[in-house]
Amino acid sequence: MKDKLPPLSRRKFLKTSLAAAAVTAGAGTPLVKSLVPGAHASGSRPPKGDLTSHFTACDMCFNRCGMIARVRNGVIEKIDPNPKFLKSRGMICARGNAATNHIYDPDRLKYPLRRTGKRGEGKWERISWEEALDYTAEKMLEIGEKYTRCGMMFIPGSDMQSQLVHRFAEVYGSFNITSHETLCLLSKNRAYLDTIGEVPYPDVFYSKYILIAGANPFEAIITPDTMDFFEARKNGCKIIVLDPRFTKTAAMADEWYQIKPGTDMAFFLALCHVIVKEELYDRDGCCPKMTYGFDEFFLHIQQYTPEWAQEECGIPSEDIIRIAREISAAAPSAMVYPGRRTSDYKDSTQIRRAMAITNALLNNFDKPGGLLALREVGVKTPYYDVPWYDDNPFDRVEAGLVPGLIDHEGSFQLMREAIISGEPYPIKGWFNFKTNFMQTAANRNKTLEMIDHLDFIVNIDIAMTDTAWYSDVVLPGASFLERKDPVSALQGSSACACAVLRDPVVPEMFESRSPFWICQELSKRMGFGDSFDFTMDEYRQKQLDGLDGALEAMLNDGVYYNPSQVYGIYSGSPLKTLSGVKEIFNQRYARSGVDPMPVYRKRRMPGENEFRLVVGRTAFFTHSNTNLELLTEFMEENVLNMHPEPAQNMGLKDGDLVEVKSQVGSGRLRLELTQGIEKQTVYMATGFGALSPQMSLVHNRGASIAEVLEDYHDEISGNMAMHETLVTVRKVA
Amino acid sequence: MKKKYCMVIDSSVCIDCKACMVSCKVQHKVPRGFWRNWIKNSDPDFTLGKYTSMHFQPGGCMQCDNPTCVYACPSGATFKDDETGIIHVNEDLCIGCGNCVKACPYHARYRHPVKRVPDKCDFCRERLDMGLLPACVDTCPTKARNFGDRNDPDSDVSRLLREQETVRIVSRPVDTEPNMFYLSSTMPMDWPGPVEYPAAHQAMVGVVNPLVKVAVGLSGLGVAAMFLKQLFTSDEASHEEKKEEV
Ligand code: SF4
Ligand code: SF4
Ligand code: SF4
Repeated sequence: MKDKLPPLSRRKFLKTSLAAAAVTAGAGTPLVKSLVPGAHASGSRPPKGDLTSHFTACDMCFNRCGMIARVRNGVIEKIDPNPKFLKSRGMICARGNAATNHIYDPDRLKYPLRRTGKRGEGKWERISWEEALDYTAEKMLEIGEKYTRCGMMFIPGSDMQSQLVHRFAEVYGSFNITSHETLCLLSKNRAYLDTIGEVPYPDVFYSKYILIAGANPFEAIITPDTMDFFEARKNGCKIIVLDPRFTKTAAMADEWYQIKPGTDMAFFLALCHVIVKEELYDRDGCCPKMTYGFDEFFLHIQQYTPEWAQEECGIPSEDIIRIAREISAAAPSAMVYPGRRTSDYKDSTQIRRAMAITNALLNNFDKPGGLLALREVGVKTPYYDVPWYDDNPFDRVEAGLVPGLIDHEGSFQLMREAIISGEPYPIKGWFNFKTNFMQTAANRNKTLEMIDHLDFIVNIDIAMTDTAWYSDVVLPGASFLERKDPVSALQGSSACACAVLRDPVVPEMFESRSPFWICQELSKRMGFGDSFDFTMDEYRQKQLDGLDGALEAMLNDGVYYNPSQVYGIYSGSPLKTLSGVKEIFNQRYARSGVDPMPVYRKRRMPGENEFRLVVGRTAFFTHSNTNLELLTEFMEENVLNMHPEPAQNMGLKDGDLVEVKSQVGSGRLRLELTQGIEKQTVYMATGFGALSPQMSLVHNRGASIAEVLEDYHDEISGNMAMHETLVTVRKVA
Repeated sequence: MKKKYCMVIDSSVCIDCKACMVSCKVQHKVPRGFWRNWIKNSDPDFTLGKYTSMHFQPGGCMQCDNPTCVYACPSGATFKDDETGIIHVNEDLCIGCGNCVKACPYHARYRHPVKRVPDKCDFCRERLDMGLLPACVDTCPTKARNFGDRNDPDSDVSRLLREQETVRIVSRPVDTEPNMFYLSSTMPMDWPGPVEYPAAHQAMVGVVNPLVKVAVGLSGLGVAAMFLKQLFTSDEASHEEKKEEV
């Protein structure tokens, strides 16, 4: 066997991996206790049965990396990366590797449950699927009857079946659909849509100079950017990071500036000031010709000098001037990294606008090493009829509350307000798939208040999350490894516009069912079964209509690439903005009374003995999906990071149990001192302090960001603003 | 041809994402609290201001050419595979004395709490047999970990070793001649601990060639002593064994 070992080159081993032979090694103690059939039996004998390999796409976060699942005797033993999957550059992160833990989690939901006690009391009865579906359909119809179909709120998750849940919501008849993204990156999307007419992809791979503000891509892994930063760096790319925290991204950058939190806009306006004043922009290719409002901008940024910015954000003016010169010299293969999770302040969209405008001055859109336009992958959304209900209200419940709500996404936070006030019309039901707003949305007490106004909550998930814990009916969802999913088109960098699908790697465990099946069954019961009367294969066929060979490619390689044009998609044609060029001055903003160009305003700063609370993530958890034995080994509970200086003034020591308290709630967790945080800032990670005892590893461990964060929102997009909260910290006796 | 497997690590691109650790753990069903591989990190020096940085250093068993663990093993259970250069534990020969665990200056071994034998990285030999890369190498996002055969001049590792400067991490008292190479530089360097040979065994190691010991089998004096030790080793004693910190 050993003699025949092929050369272990990354490119060649896919073939061999798929012809995997039986292994000879002994298996040790299984990590998974009760769920894996025969898990206890192995001892040190060689495992019996052949190992088979199956392509799939990861769903432990939104990246959808290509995976090969190794299965023996119907049990997934190991997950390996799919080397042909360019978007993920042939890797699987810690979370993806823990997918075996996810599917065989002893805390998994096993059968449908109906609440019998008060909400959150934890009294459940096991019911049959028949009962669960009948009951849910009955309740949904009742709400539709009493409060119109828009009386149901739908949150369809960010999953490969979410498009079907979305379809279900629409054919049910509600347009009150909101998303996880309203807690994440809508402000960024808004800003780029309003500047270049598109939400671009950073072409990190070919970039020569990257400025990262706030984002933490080495920890919050995003494919292929995280890997491409290093490829770019090998080719001489310089990486500059602005962050009040010494994140791992900061730790690995060429330069890290400990910016005062919330002052990024000052930095970027000053950067623009230098670029414009020193005429470092591309005079022929870009400004002023190919922009709208350059002259106004010229006057507008006179006030924002580097010296002024130094006062505001704490970054020396010489550095600002130097960075402006360096980044312009590297343009157009240079960028301000657009980032994700941009839901930080009340003026998030304007902060991201300042960054988008900097990118506009660098003239990097649609160019190698800059920001890329959306490419055609060619995957279609099968058509469906959306019914008309005469009694439905005219618009979404939160319409008009902010000027830049994004269609189909809305704003969870504003919807929550509307549900509590009952204005402009009542919403009484919530259909939730795979989001956990009780752990991720700011001001948990308000979410609880919202729940008090609801007659019916149904939740599909694979575990009893905090949100499920407060629901009326909990439906066990099939995990991504057990499902047949539609085709998803993926983008990212220049290397990959691709399509993926999933077929079941192992059968559904217990009584879990896919959301597609659930939507189908509910549709039948509610009288619109026609709209869901198709099989997954038929659906996929419609999606891939005209894409010859795509299905085969996906079945053979786990991925299909569309060799469409990468750069210069817009060359010669107008951008999708009002003016057809980059809008430095946004005309629509001007008309609706919004600052047409970003205006810097001082924000509320922490007073004495107060701190700004910032939140974030690690490389091994996705949001609140922390209840995994393999991963809590790295972090059993979250801690509060504080600089030693204020801690000393307050008599606090490393390891003290502290209470962190805001206007809306408080949490208890241990203090961890580090010089890697700005002095008036404290930090904690997402995903702990769970209310649900069935999240057994994180229940009551550490504190939940949702309980402490105050609920501010971005005033343009309605996106949650997660870094406006000021807190006090005191030692718990 | 004989192989000489080694790992060449570019620690300048390791982002401490722990993917390699989880991948390894799943592959080998390593119990909670124990690891076959690890990431160490340097302490940031914040006086450097904007240039403050951190270095993350992946590690695991170094598959030494001068393996102190092999020398410490009284039963011949721990041995260097001549065909691959990988240090293995033959679980059937192991008497569970734990000497090898203490003799490894890198703390690369732990005592498996259920199997009660030492466990450590074996470059995923069952994956190699299938033509797969070691689990940690395969999964690494930034490809910090490179793996291959040094005896094959065309392998990635040979090329890296040829073209780039590398460093090895050796313990102070003994140069174990590790087969784990780090490109250009790495940090931290000061973590290998002492090589601890059991007193009864030490004299023997000095005079007897380790290979001879295998032939001698279980009849040696040192081995007998180890047997006694094993009998008196209680469960609590195993808790003292150093487990890798993350
Ligand atoms: S980044 Fe990690 S969790 Fe996200 S899809 Fe990829 S492997 Fe899965
Ligand atoms: S690293 Fe330790 S366990 Fe591995 S070969 Fe060297 S001495 Fe033995
Ligand atoms: S997987 Fe790679 S980048 Fe991640 S911690 Fe391991 S060696 Fe470092």
